[in-house]
Amino acid sequence: MSVERMKALVIGAGEVGTNVARTLSADGHEVIVIESDPVRCEQARDELDALVIEGNGASPRILREQNAKSMDLLAAVTAIDEVNIAAAAVAHQLQVRTTVARVRDPDFFGQDGAFAKQLLGIDFVIDPDRAAASDISKAINLPGAVSVEYFGDGQLALAEVIVTESSPVAGIPLGARERPHPAFIVGISQKGVASLTRPGTVPQVGDHLLVTCAREYLRSAVAHLAGQVEEVKRAVIFGGGKIGLHLARQLEQSRIDTTILERDATRARVLAERVPGVTVLHDEGVSQESQASAGVAEADVFIACAGDDRSNLLAAMNGKRLGARISLATVSREEFTPLVDSLEIDAAFSPRLIAAEAILKFVHTTSVKGIHLHRSGFEAMELEVRPGAAIVGMAIGETHGLLRHCRVGAILSEDEVSIPGRGSQVSVGDRLLMLGPFGTMSEVERAFAGKR
Amino acid sequence: MTGRLRLPVSPLIGLTLGGTFTASGLAMLVCAAVGFLDGEAGPAFAVPGVVTTALGLALLIDAISPDQRSVNVTPVAGLLAVTLAWTLASVTGVVPLVAAGSFSSPLDAFFESVSGFTTTGATLLNDIDGQPQAVLVWRSLMQWLGGIGIVVLVVAIAPISGPGIQKAFYAETSSVTSDRLTPRIIDTAKIIAGIYLVLSVVAALAYLAAGMGVFDAINHSMTTIATGGFSTRSASIGAFDSVAVEIVAVVFMIVGAINFAFYWRAIRGKGLRPQSSEVLGFLGFIFGISMMVGVSLWLAGDSTGFGSTVIDSIFSVTTIVTTTGFTTADFDSWNSFARTGIVLAMFIGGCAGSTAGGIKVIRVMLLGKSAFQELQRQIKPTVVRVLRIGDHVYREEVRRAVLGFFLIYMIVYGFGVMAMAAGGLDPLTAFSAASATLNMIGPGIGEVGALESYEALSGFNRAVACVLMIAGRLEVFTVVALLAAAYDRFRSLRLVP
Repeated sequence: MSVERMKALVIGAGEVGTNVARTLSADGHEVIVIESDPVRCEQARDELDALVIEGNGASPRILREQNAKSMDLLAAVTAIDEVNIAAAAVAHQLQVRTTVARVRDPDFFGQDGAFAKQLLGIDFVIDPDRAAASDISKAINLPGAVSVEYFGDGQLALAEVIVTESSPVAGIPLGARERPHPAFIVGISQKGVASLTRPGTVPQVGDHLLVTCAREYLRSAVAHLAGQVEEVKRAVIFGGGKIGLHLARQLEQSRIDTTILERDATRARVLAERVPGVTVLHDEGVSQESQASAGVAEADVFIACAGDDRSNLLAAMNGKRLGARISLATVSREEFTPLVDSLEIDAAFSPRLIAAEAILKFVHTTSVKGIHLHRSGFEAMELEVRPGAAIVGMAIGETHGLLRHCRVGAILSEDEVSIPGRGSQVSVGDRLLMLGPFGTMSEVERAFAGKR
Repeated sequence: MTGRLRLPVSPLIGLTLGGTFTASGLAMLVCAAVGFLDGEAGPAFAVPGVVTTALGLALLIDAISPDQRSVNVTPVAGLLAVTLAWTLASVTGVVPLVAAGSFSSPLDAFFESVSGFTTTGATLLNDIDGQPQAVLVWRSLMQWLGGIGIVVLVVAIAPISGPGIQKAFYAETSSVTSDRLTPRIIDTAKIIAGIYLVLSVVAALAYLAAGMGVFDAINHSMTTIATGGFSTRSASIGAFDSVAVEIVAVVFMIVGAINFAFYWRAIRGKGLRPQSSEVLGFLGFIFGISMMVGVSLWLAGDSTGFGSTVIDSIFSVTTIVTTTGFTTADFDSWNSFARTGIVLAMFIGGCAGSTAGGIKVIRVMLLGKSAFQELQRQIKPTVVRVLRIGDHVYREEVRRAVLGFFLIYMIVYGFGVMAMAAGGLDPLTAFSAASATLNMIGPGIGEVGALESYEALSGFNRAVACVLMIAGRLEVFTVVALLAAAYDRFRSLRLVP
């Protein structure tokens, strides 16, 4: 989207950095990436339409050379907390407008975000593990959904719901949508293939539905679509690392009976100390026996969030086989993500992607108007309708020529969420949630090309 | 896809070809205007100009349309797009040249047009003075478009971006390490195009000041900055018989053969490393070789006086090293030492990231350094040496890439020489014709000498020359890598053992 052009510095060309840089440059912003590893630099040069510089991103000299003063954003997202904090602090001193740092170790700031903000001038601290844990717990707290995302100022929800046997929509063709309706089934992912729903689409058991609705209807809408889903009462967490710990805390707060499997004895003790209300088992956790003894068969949800992607995927499949109702895994490496759809796992969460999304979403609240989010083969983008955009004044039913592969999932006008019907009209100043299969957001540009 | 006819080309190829055709078509329309004013060859350019522009715009509009799903572009697609663009651009150049009556054989017109777009400057025209003005302008415009690079031009003008375009961009521009000037490739292309335009205008003014007519000044400014070498006169720059014109030509050939990133950094007041070492090396090569040639001319008594010896040797060496190919003196009549030196100097080329061809100065410097370090290693096996030019240290991968480049360049050259000889040329002419086309120079020695055209070449030789020119313009790797990929594809289809 060519909204006002922003100059951004991204420190670190790992998975988070690459995703942030790719989205920003695809949106027409000027991006400079600083990375210390020469091999990563080469990859980034191949992949990104961005200036890639080899060097230490926390170095005042390098930042000054890149004219940091004129920058609108610095996102320090290397794997090393100290580098990120230093880079963001230096950037703040050099008067970069907005700074973001990825900080994993809670010892640095913990609950003390104000310290980061006031003393170091870091506007936004993102911890991928904590963000992933809270995404997972959001999904667990909403029975029937595997993921939830909020848009606007939080009043619009986008949920991914799995169709179960008891679901009232299973096996029944979707009718021509009656409106107004509190929820809108925008897309469907069948065996890993994402498509927009059409009248006559038949959701099958196991399909994922992408649903938009106002936040207050979310719980009832999801419960309705997913069928007779029970509240999650028992959870088993495999892996007591940072994500496991954050998650255990959050589940404890939601009064869910939680068990953690941790293979390292010392770490298991630490967990037992820090989250007293949770049962900690010192066990390797991948095998059927150890999972069975942890009560996975009776669990409502099994979450594999150890450090290793392969064990997570294996453990999550095992958990599902043993009888966990929902089985989730965290997957760090992007290469594994396409695999997940073909495995017997309900959903996978990527901490780094979640972090990248969180950063983009934060940036969105400060300066840009469009963001991308990736969910199960879908792309979502929230944007504001500008004067002169082609879509202004058109009824949604007439936009087929303009939007062929994606559609308006919801309209936010003056903080009021409405689900678009064929006759709904879009006016200047409205914010729209656009949804479509991955790669289709480019056509949105035409629909919204207007006066700059 | 519903409702609309889609052209069966991938967006990347559509973009590059569309941009290429549009640029070429618009250039033809300019020539048509010249032709109508001049009263000669107007329709010969107007008709193909309109058709080519229309075809180009259709491809562009189709490729830019936003409902185009973003595609995953492989490196091979980038190479294919660029190679196709250069080949087909040359094809578009054939029609007006034949229609205007300059050539009767389409192959010859294709040769001329490849020689134009690749900025080689080799010609099959004997009577250049007698050509219609439109044809002369067309030859200059082909070189001017080709000098900056077709993809660079397309990226600078069309509102496009993406990883695929970037790959095509790099396949076309020569660089040892990535020297992009700005975060966005579009902005880099715009800056390069802007610098190119300004330099061309300055060159035209300088030619005017040196006493050239307006028509000649504009044409020569385009072919000088592009280091192309087409002239509006049969006797090339020699026709003007003016030291001032020769000096202006020398200065702007050098200007065109210097890395454009160097100018950008100079304008922005940024550090000039690492380009400054390359520029110094480049000037050093020109000075050193001119000295050698000049001294040999003096000793052998080839020249007529001190002044003309100095000017002839500097001009000839500059035109060869910058891969331009203008001529003043008949260097083919010089002594054997000077002639051999001229052929070897053809391989050096200009700076990376300029409009010149050849191996490129920075690569030659890195090769020399590597060779020297290898010798040191023979003496002291444990010595650790980094590849340092000026105060810039190159990574070991760069060393490997440069050595690989040199190897493939020489292999292609070897095949080129053999093919030329197979086409019936004597060994001297075969060596020099292959060198003068692969390095994008134009005139060589022997039967393709300074005052000759390429008429001595058989039809087969002309085709070989076309391949060498395109391979040379795309720095060999692009074309060879494409062939290798095609071979892999064929092998997987079991069409070859």
